[in-house]
Amino acid sequence: MMKEYWQEELEVSSRSSLEKLQIERLNKTIEYAIQSPYYNKLFNKKGISPGSIKNIAQIQDLPFTTKQDLRNNFPYGFLTLPKKEIIRLHSSSGTTGNPTVIFHNRHDINSWANLMARSLFCAGVRDTDVFQNISGYGLFTGGLGFQYGIEALGCLSIPAGAGNSKRQIKLMQDYGTTVAHAIPSYLGRLYEVFEQENLDPKKNTQLHTLVIGAEPHTEEQRQRIEAMFGVKAYNSFGLSEMNGPGVAFECTYQSGLHIWEDAFYVEIIDPETLQPVPDGEYGELVMTTLDREAMPLIRYRTRDITRIIPGKCKCGRVHRRIDRITGRTDDMFIIKGCNVFPMQIEGVLLKIPEVGSDYLITLETVNDVDEMVVEVEVKPNWFSGDIRKLDQLTKQITTQIRDEVLAKPIVKLVEKGSIPRAEGKAVRVADKRNNGLK
Amino acid sequence: MAYEVSIFLENKIGHFERITQILKKNEINIRTMSINDTSNGWGILNLLVNNPQKAYKALEAEGVSVALKEIIALEMKDESGGLHDLLLKVAQAKVNFNNANGRIIQETKSAILILDVPDIADSQKKLMENGLQILDDEKIYGN
Ligand SMILES: [Zn+2]
Repeated sequence: MMKEYWQEELEVSSRSSLEKLQIERLNKTIEYAIQSPYYNKLFNKKGISPGSIKNIAQIQDLPFTTKQDLRNNFPYGFLTLPKKEIIRLHSSSGTTGNPTVIFHNRHDINSWANLMARSLFCAGVRDTDVFQNISGYGLFTGGLGFQYGIEALGCLSIPAGAGNSKRQIKLMQDYGTTVAHAIPSYLGRLYEVFEQENLDPKKNTQLHTLVIGAEPHTEEQRQRIEAMFGVKAYNSFGLSEMNGPGVAFECTYQSGLHIWEDAFYVEIIDPETLQPVPDGEYGELVMTTLDREAMPLIRYRTRDITRIIPGKCKCGRVHRRIDRITGRTDDMFIIKGCNVFPMQIEGVLLKIPEVGSDYLITLETVNDVDEMVVEVEVKPNWFSGDIRKLDQLTKQITTQIRDEVLAKPIVKLVEKGSIPRAEGKAVRVADKRNNGLK
Repeated sequence: MAYEVSIFLENKIGHFERITQILKKNEINIRTMSINDTSNGWGILNLLVNNPQKAYKALEAEGVSVALKEIIALEMKDESGGLHDLLLKVAQAKVNFNNANGRIIQETKSAILILDVPDIADSQKKLMENGLQILDDEKIYGN
């Protein structure tokens, strides 16, 4: 019979056996963590000891770890083992303050490579594939993280690195690349180069699968990429604090990303109250490593906003699915007592064909009341000269945003080009309220 | 068929001027204009011009939200009570309109009333049945 899962016993077991494994591994993780200077001090103060976790809900008694904690204890404060045992580090650029650095021993690297292989297998990649990794190698985890996973899976790997589109295309043609990994925004540029060279990736390559990740993107962007290349594109999620790629991955049903719960304990919390939110509701993703020795992290606040997709996936895996990342807690604002993420508003607007995806949220105080003004550009080709249609459109957008974020906005239609375009990350929220944020 | 050029316009300094600038550059003459203002920070500018298709293309090319809107034009006497007499007949024909504006034609000492109606074909039929003459394009645009 054809192999359906990379590790059947771990992927399609039962929730109860998965939970048993989580308790076992959490205790082991605490055992490792307590050997690091940071957790040693913290756990002793709070009376946390290895073996104290009897049921998994007790994880909520453990303290959170933040990015600031990592920075404050740079570089070795979280290290559990002597440097002799450590074989690799990955680090963020650290443009603001200390970089975030993660250390791995041999066990960690093998475990990561296995998760990465499992992820790719789950998206339909097989050892017969030729895998071109269009990703920066070096301190960035997308290069080596994928590389080790591709090798563990057994594909022919092409460590192409990032950029140089003409060379990427040549590699694809010379070696018959069937799978490629890249960030979604790069694939648009790559396609343009295909066109300049009078080539069509659908006809002139053997690609059947793309893996996209490392930057937030919408379902619409994914579909555009799939149409351009005539392939399936699967969403990959990871963050360097949790190794890098291989944390959560889409299976061939493309209905959310399975997050590997034997390796990570997953919580979704309200970033304000720090209390767990029910499945299906958006909140901040909090993760605990369950299989990392050199640098375990307990209840790490990722600042990424997502939700657990309720229900079982058709593929049969017991690992729950998270939704695509809709933003970061840093972007969140509170208006009329509601937590709002700009990506929620963007999601509403993207579904309305009459408006463009450019928008601007201004928070301002009008007659002592805080208001959320949402400016939206009307698409010129939709405009019919009928004032009532525009009024209806304003009402429709107002209702749909209110239904999504629970706070009623003031919607203002504006001309195309009114909202300043930003290079790279667009500024979506301007806070002009008397009291500032919150 | 006669057309007005409808433009989505924010109530901001310089936005109207940008439109007239584009029209001037393309040598388009504005015959009449009206603005449907709203309290939402925007309005719709309706222009009767000598060449609606050309105006539409020029504005569209500049990224303006513009539409060609079919209108009905009726002739009226340029004398006191002329408008009243005409509107009475329009009402008798049971024709509703969203917006109206007029222009005077110097050489014939007459005036035209421009109606923006929800249903063009139906309104045209009713007006003609009530003995009102619908003007042809040339007379409306005044080329
Ligand atoms: Zn699945």
